[in-house]
Amino acid sequence: MRLLKRYLAAAALIAATPAITLAQDAKRPETLGVGVFTFTSGPAAAYGLPGRNGAEFIIEMINADGGIGGVPLRATFVDEAQGAEGVISEFRRLAGDASNQVMIAALSSANCLALAPVAEQMQVPTIGWNCDTHQLLQEDYDYVFRPNGNTIPEFMAYAAYLLDKKPDVSRVAIINPDYAFGHDAAEIFKAALKAFKPDVEIVAELYPRLGASSFQTEISRLSAARPDVIFSNLWGGDLENFVRQAQPRGLFTTSQVVLALGETVLQRVALPEGVIVGVLGDGWWMSPTSMANEKTQTFAEAYRKKYGEYPVFPTMKMANTFLITKAAYEKAMKANGDAWPTRAQVAEALKGLQTTTLTGEVTIREDNDGIVDQIVGTTVKSAKHDFPVIGDMVRYEGKSLMPPVGQDPFKWISGLDKSFLETLPKPGSYK
Amino acid sequence: MLQSLVPLLVDGLANAALIFFVAVGLTLVFSVLRILNVAHGSFYSIGAYAAASIGLWIVSSGFSPYLTFPALLLSAALVAALFGPLVERTLVRWTYGKSEAVQILVTFGLFLILEDLQRMVFGVQSLYEDTPMALLGITEIGGIVYLNYQLLLIGLAAVVIIGLRLLIRHTRHGKFLAAVVADREVSQTLGIDTNRVFIMAFALGVFLAALGGALATPTSGVAPGLGAETVVLAFAVAAIGGLGQIEGAAIAAVIVGLARVLAIYYAPALDAVAPYLVMLVVLLIRPYGLFGSVTTRRI
Repeated sequence: MRLLKRYLAAAALIAATPAITLAQDAKRPETLGVGVFTFTSGPAAAYGLPGRNGAEFIIEMINADGGIGGVPLRATFVDEAQGAEGVISEFRRLAGDASNQVMIAALSSANCLALAPVAEQMQVPTIGWNCDTHQLLQEDYDYVFRPNGNTIPEFMAYAAYLLDKKPDVSRVAIINPDYAFGHDAAEIFKAALKAFKPDVEIVAELYPRLGASSFQTEISRLSAARPDVIFSNLWGGDLENFVRQAQPRGLFTTSQVVLALGETVLQRVALPEGVIVGVLGDGWWMSPTSMANEKTQTFAEAYRKKYGEYPVFPTMKMANTFLITKAAYEKAMKANGDAWPTRAQVAEALKGLQTTTLTGEVTIREDNDGIVDQIVGTTVKSAKHDFPVIGDMVRYEGKSLMPPVGQDPFKWISGLDKSFLETLPKPGSYK
Repeated sequence: MLQSLVPLLVDGLANAALIFFVAVGLTLVFSVLRILNVAHGSFYSIGAYAAASIGLWIVSSGFSPYLTFPALLLSAALVAALFGPLVERTLVRWTYGKSEAVQILVTFGLFLILEDLQRMVFGVQSLYEDTPMALLGITEIGGIVYLNYQLLLIGLAAVVIIGLRLLIRHTRHGKFLAAVVADREVSQTLGIDTNRVFIMAFALGVFLAALGGALATPTSGVAPGLGAETVVLAFAVAAIGGLGQIEGAAIAAVIVGLARVLAIYYAPALDAVAPYLVMLVVLLIRPYGLFGSVTTRRI
């Protein structure tokens, strides 16, 4: 009988543990712990470090402004370069600590796909600050959100812009990184071209290893294919390497080059005029919308003073993600009678959230995917800066390039035709 | 037809040249010291970092940009002088006569230490120093623009093959090397200072790896992880050529270079595995590599 009582007591204690945790979560903490996942080493750090800098900088700004509901933010950074296994392990460790209430994770699509089920299992609100792959939210999640847009509108935007700028394109070559993000982008770009201009021929499709140091043979292959257009979503050090190696070999003069993440290297590599570049969303600090926003300009100038260069779009994506997190907490507290929200309440508040960011507006749909506008343009010389900037811009409404919730994106794209392009704004219309 | 083959050949040889420098160093160390040095890739990446750092310093200090050419050689020499004798005297020497497992574990441990050391010294972001490439300009071959620097690398690889042959066959120290490779005990009996030969061979191996890294710098970025990427490919080349075979490494580098190029041109999905598929086929047919031979064990 005594043994039975002990078992019952132990069982009651175990059963009460989640309630104790929830009660602790709901108590206003001294700091709001946030796990931030990005690449801080290796070739991908060229993209990941500006993201980390953006997080540090916006946290300083939020904390200087009183934090969130009076609680200052405290970030723990995790380097994604350690691989998916290490990233998952770090995520579990941080999420297991009740003082960390939100995860800003992650940069790599592959890591985001690996972390989503873990986030769901551990019931920790996880906001993908990058996480572009459209595959991420094909499952139903309660705790996983991706407010900055996905690969479907991002690469649809490039196809639409390209066909407006170069309607006679017939031969297209693709060079993307060899993992989910690269292959997804190629499939979406090809599907959009097929829908809008079915006679386009893909003359070369290359997927070099992520982190490859040399692209010389790929450059020869691209030259040999004689494409009208070369499309690439290489990023980070790979993009910088590719541009540095391809430019002296004439690739930018023989073909129209489209660099989906080109804005990230504008300040580092001398990109020629006429390259189609964008920001995978609306996160350009120099867009007309951003230029009209005093807060954004203060952020950009202060960032340049601290880090020696202006923010790039990963910086803005990260900063915007923190502003979205802040908005979610404020919404949750308002719904909770100003009491500190639990993790579940924060996740609930993220659903349907609408807020203003440093570079535009974001709305989180019922499938937890964010709707953001897409800015695409062409490199032009700047009178003010010693690096090229984006000109001849268009700003596509995010909603116009996203399939309806629950619809297969490729079926949706294949149902479109050339007339769809006529409904979109034209290059040069965003001034 | 011939015109379309020319770019394949140029790309294949340019690829082969860079792989050759590091693979021949690996095979040389194996032939003399009888150890498979996993840390060899680290010397490649340290050579690359050294060349990029010195080159950037030369350019930023306002010296003639042409000094970046001798700086490539100087970087490799510095790395060899610093790490060759030090590593051989301390860690590698301790593994002589031990099992292959111990040798691999020790050199793998060294590889991990050197990788972390590079992060501490050079940071985690990519370095770029392409002055030598920019100075040499371009050439059009078969309708494709190539960097003259790529063509220079092919020539340099040929010079290194010939140089190594001359060193081994026509110099006193080279003959000592050849004697130790042929029979270590007899060489000792004849009065050859094998310890000195080991240091020399190991330092030469480090120099060749560092030279490969330094010469790669003008056409590619330098970032953490470069050593691991390189040493795996160097192992494949050395295995295809036959461990310990200098000419074998050269021919294997050309085969691997061409295999990669053919994959990128005609089957891009096989790009990463092409060298290892070639290795698999060669080792299935000739387990000791193309130029390796079965060694009889003396009892």
